[in-house]
Amino acid sequence: MAGGEGAAANAAVTPNAPARLTGFGNPYVQIAVGALLVTASELMLKRGAEAAAGSSWLGVDALASLWTWGGIVTYVLSFLSWLYVLRHLPLGLAFSLINAVHVLVPVASWLFLHESISPRRWAGIGLVLGGIVLIAGNVAKAEEKL
Amino acid sequence: MTAVAIVLCVVCQLFLVVGQLMLKHAMNPKAGGSWRGTAVRLVPGIACMTVWFFLWLGLLEKLELSHIFPFEGLNPALLVLGAWFFFRERVTVRAWVGIGLITAGVVLVSGS
Repeated sequence: MAGGEGAAANAAVTPNAPARLTGFGNPYVQIAVGALLVTASELMLKRGAEAAAGSSWLGVDALASLWTWGGIVTYVLSFLSWLYVLRHLPLGLAFSLINAVHVLVPVASWLFLHESISPRRWAGIGLVLGGIVLIAGNVAKAEEKL
Repeated sequence: MTAVAIVLCVVCQLFLVVGQLMLKHAMNPKAGGSWRGTAVRLVPGIACMTVWFFLWLGLLEKLELSHIFPFEGLNPALLVLGAWFFFRERVTVRAWVGIGLITAGVVLVSGS
């Protein structure tokens, strides 16, 4: 799906002339919207997966749950939001900001799915996030090459 | 987390990264060709994304969301390593530290 992510990344090399984009048209607002959509999508996919038998490593049976379909629709919406963001912001910046999902998803898992997150898991999440911040500059260049 | 689950989490991210890159190249306007040609070129990318999606759902059936989501952090690390391996793109010291932190974080999470 993020094939468009890459295609749009090329476009992001020459961002559009800054226009006054307000409300939902503001790319920073759209990053927040996108991050929330990703979080909602993951929560719904988890609910859908929980409803399935879980006998195989391929969760095709989760498609029987409407939650899963809700998760798919929300994921597609988050992708459209991401394409919009990349038309207005450079990939490196957009990428750094969208990684808020690495905090939002565990917090939402704790709040809504009642998962208990150990200090060890939080520490791991923190390291991943720190690593992403350090790598962000190279990601945009890597995207261009690959 | 069992060894099988850890391997599947990593394989899942590989399918995601490769699938994304394949779709990106298939949709590149410079590739030209007919509408039909584009549709055919999209097939391998869509196949990878389908495997990624069902693997992810399968993992979600068995493991907590907060347990497997941090593996998504491998995605940017794989991109940078891919550009380094295939195109000799320079990886800065800062980025190597980043890759190390992401890897250490995923190892910590998988054992949590």
